[in-house]
Amino acid sequence: MTQEEKLIQDIVIARLNTMPSNIAISIGNEGEFSKKEIIDHVKNNDNIGKKMIEIQLSYLQSLKNLTDYLIPEQHDTYHTA
Amino acid sequence: MILITQPNFDITTQWISCWSTEISKLATDRKIKVVVLDGIRANRKEFESVIKKISPKLVFFNGHGSDKTVFGHKNEPLVIMGDNEDQLAGKIVYSLACLSAKTLGPECINKGTRAYIGYIEDFIFFHDITKISNPLSDQIAGMFLEPSNCIMKSLIKGHTTQMSWEHSQQCFKRKITELVMKGDRVSINTYLPHLFWDMQNQVSLGDPNASL
Repeated sequence: MTQEEKLIQDIVIARLNTMPSNIAISIGNEGEFSKKEIIDHVKNNDNIGKKMIEIQLSYLQSLKNLTDYLIPEQHDTYHTA
Repeated sequence: MILITQPNFDITTQWISCWSTEISKLATDRKIKVVVLDGIRANRKEFESVIKKISPKLVFFNGHGSDKTVFGHKNEPLVIMGDNEDQLAGKIVYSLACLSAKTLGPECINKGTRAYIGYIEDFIFFHDITKISNPLSDQIAGMFLEPSNCIMKSLIKGHTTQMSWEHSQQCFKRKITELVMKGDRVSINTYLPHLFWDMQNQVSLGDPNASL
């Protein structure tokens, strides 16, 4: 693992560490995971851990266009649909 | 007529099947006939039998999935690419099953499915484990499952598949906006990335003007 990959792994672990203990994550066919379990997967850099990293990186890259994903209340047409 | 599958054998299927009950209620309120294959009834034999007997216009899958398969109870395959995807010909499909819109969805369209809405990656959601006796009260899961249900609610109201997909995307964005405005660490670090993920991997294939 390169230094950059280790840094990214640490960032993802730090972010997942904010999960409350009563919350679990469901990842399709992979199953359900507690905070400790999902962080362990990231530490082990297995397929589930890599998926968590991919999701967090994808999100962080989306942030530069964050306003594209926000809707002011007056533009919310769903409730009138 | 609508066919809904509700397998229920693990936390994921328990939660999504529970959240889909409001869809069958909405359809019934609107005088639309609904057939629900719940629990062990979410098997291939029953599925194909109902498809043949009532020929539903809309099929709503809840369950696990892969790029080539949608599963029912205890992961019994209901639809397998190259085997029985023609069962969905002429129908509108919403598949809340991981990955199924990646390969199976396009093949269904090739075989005559009118429209296929689903996910090209894993559908991921968080849930509150203290709500196991009543998943519908789980507001954390609701952040993810309400935008999903939005597809079906919109279709039942008579909107097209394109409009229903847009409504769901808008619902995701509303949840994202709420979390950004809330601004706490859990929302920003944990929930937001996965809401983005589900929103960005939800696709609508086939005829954008298909409706009930």
